[in-house]
Amino acid sequence: MAELNLRVRRFDPSVDRGPRIQEYTVPAHDGMTVLDALIYAKDRVDHSLAVRFSCRMASCGSCGMKINGRPRLACESQVSQLGTDLTVEPMDNFPIVRDLVVDLDGFFEKHSMVAPHLSRKNDGREQEAPSGEYLVTPEQLDSFVQFTYCIKCGLCNSSCPTGSTDASFLGPQALTQAYRYVADPRDEAGEERIDLVDETHGIWRCHFAGTCSAVCPKGVDPALGIQLMKRHVMAARSPFRRRKKAGTKLFPNPNGELLKGP
Amino acid sequence: MRESTLMQLQYATGAAALVLVGLHLLMQGVLVPYGEAVSFQRVLSVYKSGVDAGLLEILLVVVLAHGFNGLRVILLEWRQGGAWTRGVNWGLLAATLVAVAYGTRTVVLAVTGQAS
Repeated sequence: MAELNLRVRRFDPSVDRGPRIQEYTVPAHDGMTVLDALIYAKDRVDHSLAVRFSCRMASCGSCGMKINGRPRLACESQVSQLGTDLTVEPMDNFPIVRDLVVDLDGFFEKHSMVAPHLSRKNDGREQEAPSGEYLVTPEQLDSFVQFTYCIKCGLCNSSCPTGSTDASFLGPQALTQAYRYVADPRDEAGEERIDLVDETHGIWRCHFAGTCSAVCPKGVDPALGIQLMKRHVMAARSPFRRRKKAGTKLFPNPNGELLKGP
Repeated sequence: MRESTLMQLQYATGAAALVLVGLHLLMQGVLVPYGEAVSFQRVLSVYKSGVDAGLLEILLVVVLAHGFNGLRVILLEWRQGGAWTRGVNWGLLAATLVAVAYGTRTVVLAVTGQAS
C-alpha cells in the first residue's frame, strides 16, 4: 500500500455556509490507523484540520468519527482493513464544533442525568468512613459487567436512528448506564432512575434498531441493556410485583483499619 | 399517564388486535366460503349478530387506540417541545375518541338495521 486518498468532510460553523469535502494524499505504512493518517494530514499538509484525540489506544473515546459511512474510533481503525479510499466525517446526531470535532456537552449532560454512580440511601456515614465492603457475587456481576466497559465515545448515540430525529431522546449510552446501576445490587437509587427513564423521551423511544450495539468499539450491547431496563421498568410498575431487588449487605473487612476514613 | 402505562396499552392492544383479526378472518374467511363472506347481505347479517358486532366494536377500539398511540410516538419523535407534546397528546386523544364514536355509530346503525 503506497498512498491513501483521504477525503475529509470539513465545516467551520463560524465561517462556512456549508460542509465541503477536502482531499489529502497520505503515504501509508503497515499498522497505520485512520487517526495516524489524519495526524499526518494535520501535521504535514494542513494545520487547520480539526480532529480530537488523546490515548490512541481505544480507551479514552475521544476520536469517534464516521469512517467510510460507519461510526468508528479512528485510533483502532486499521487502514489495511478499510482500503486506500477513505472518507472521514464527523459523527452524526451531534452539533459540529469544527471539522471532525463534535460538541459532546449534551451527551455528557444526559449521561449525568441518570446519576451514573452507586448511591446508598441510609448509610452516608459508611460511605464517608467505610468499615467493610458491599460484596457482589459473580452471578450478580455477570448481569451488568459488560455495561461498565463503556468509554463514553458517543458512537452509539451517533448511530441511533431515534436520536437523529428526537434530540431530547436520552440515547443508548445514558439508558444503558441507567441499567448498569439499576442492576448493581449495591445501588439503592433504582426507583429514581426508573422515574427518569420512564418519560416521553426516555426508554420507550428505543425501537431496537440495534445499530448502537453494532458500532460499539468495546463490545458493549446497549440495545440489550435498554431492553433489560424496559423489563425493570415494567416490573417496577406492575401491580403484581412480588420480588424486590436482591441487594447486598455490608461485610466487615477483616483489615478494617485499612478502610477507616479520616 | 406514565409512558410505561401507555406502552403497556400499546403492547396489549397490539396483541389483542392480532388475536381479534385472526378470529375475524377465521370466522369470515375459513368457516364461511370467502365469496359468500364478503357479500353485502351477509356482511349486514353479521353486523346484526350481537356477538359479531361486539367483537367488531372491541376490534374498533383496540385498533384505534393502538394506531393513534403509535402515531403519537412518531409525532413526538419527529418534533420536540412542551407545546408540541401537549398538542399531540390532547389532539390525538380527541381524534381517537371521535373516531371511536363514529365507528361505534356505524356498528350501532348496522346492529339496529338502520344501515340497510
